[in-house]
Amino acid sequence: MSARVGVFAVSCSREQPKGAMTLQRERQLNQFLAGVERRALRFAEIAVRDRDEALDLVQDAMIKLARNYSQQPENEWTPLFYRILQNGIRDWYRRQAVRNRVMVWFGRGSDADKDFDPVAQAPDPGGRSPDEQLQTQEAMHQLENAVGRLPARQREAFMLRTFECLDVAGTAVAMGCSQGSVKTHYSRAVHTLRDALGEHWQ
Amino acid sequence: MNEPRNEEELARQAKALFDESVDRLDAATLSRLNQGRHEALAELERTKPVGQWARWMPATGVAAAAVVAVVMWQGTPTEGPLPAPDSATDFEILLSEDNLEMLEDLEFYSWIEPADLAENGNVG
Repeated sequence: MSARVGVFAVSCSREQPKGAMTLQRERQLNQFLAGVERRALRFAEIAVRDRDEALDLVQDAMIKLARNYSQQPENEWTPLFYRILQNGIRDWYRRQAVRNRVMVWFGRGSDADKDFDPVAQAPDPGGRSPDEQLQTQEAMHQLENAVGRLPARQREAFMLRTFECLDVAGTAVAMGCSQGSVKTHYSRAVHTLRDALGEHWQ
Repeated sequence: MNEPRNEEELARQAKALFDESVDRLDAATLSRLNQGRHEALAELERTKPVGQWARWMPATGVAAAAVVAVVMWQGTPTEGPLPAPDSATDFEILLSEDNLEMLEDLEFYSWIEPADLAENGNVG
């Protein structure tokens, strides 16, 4: 009898650290998401060129990470999160392609790209002269346009390596391809951007 | 802004611009991001892994019920002969023809018993 009581007591005592671990994991996830959400938003916004859509994509990625991968080691969260986000962006492009085909069928095209204006969307920063502000915004506008014109895989490689500072291995996980492919896509992206921006970034 | 001379310089300039655009996000957007993050954390709460006891509780309950059912079913015949045969025997004795005749001659037996005792001098 006393042995049974002992086993039960040990079993109950194990539940307490599990709850504490869950709380700690929740805090870690909150901290991770808070650190990555702004950059992820801009990442998605450059890809889909629409802030509302980008917000939805980032929120979906956060929910999927919490639901499916929160028990993974914390150092794996960044590539996993961007992989989820990339998949969301690709799905978004597929849906847009279907939607555009349907709209063309009914005689209406999509005006979303024409209406998008990153400069107008950007809020006013503080602490700089209007000339500096305008110059920076114009440069970002050019960069966004140039990055947006890259083939999808090159864009992903460039943004993950440059904006998110993921290493080649992390980028490969995020893109779901080999490290060799990452290097190839990134190199081509940089060459294309250098050619495209060279005439503007002066 | 100088023209990027090599890959590193282009990447450095691009990252600086990107970082600045991140810093310029407005309050309304940050609020929506905050809401989205809390919804994600609520999802974590909904999918919280259950404890070891709770995880095995349904299987344990089913197993315990099965054991009880098997013990009750198997245990019944091993308790020995039922009292039913004894009752049947009693009925046979009571309902046998001789006993019915004895009941009919009850007055005779009540007379002969004291007489028998008087002759033999014992109750045996």
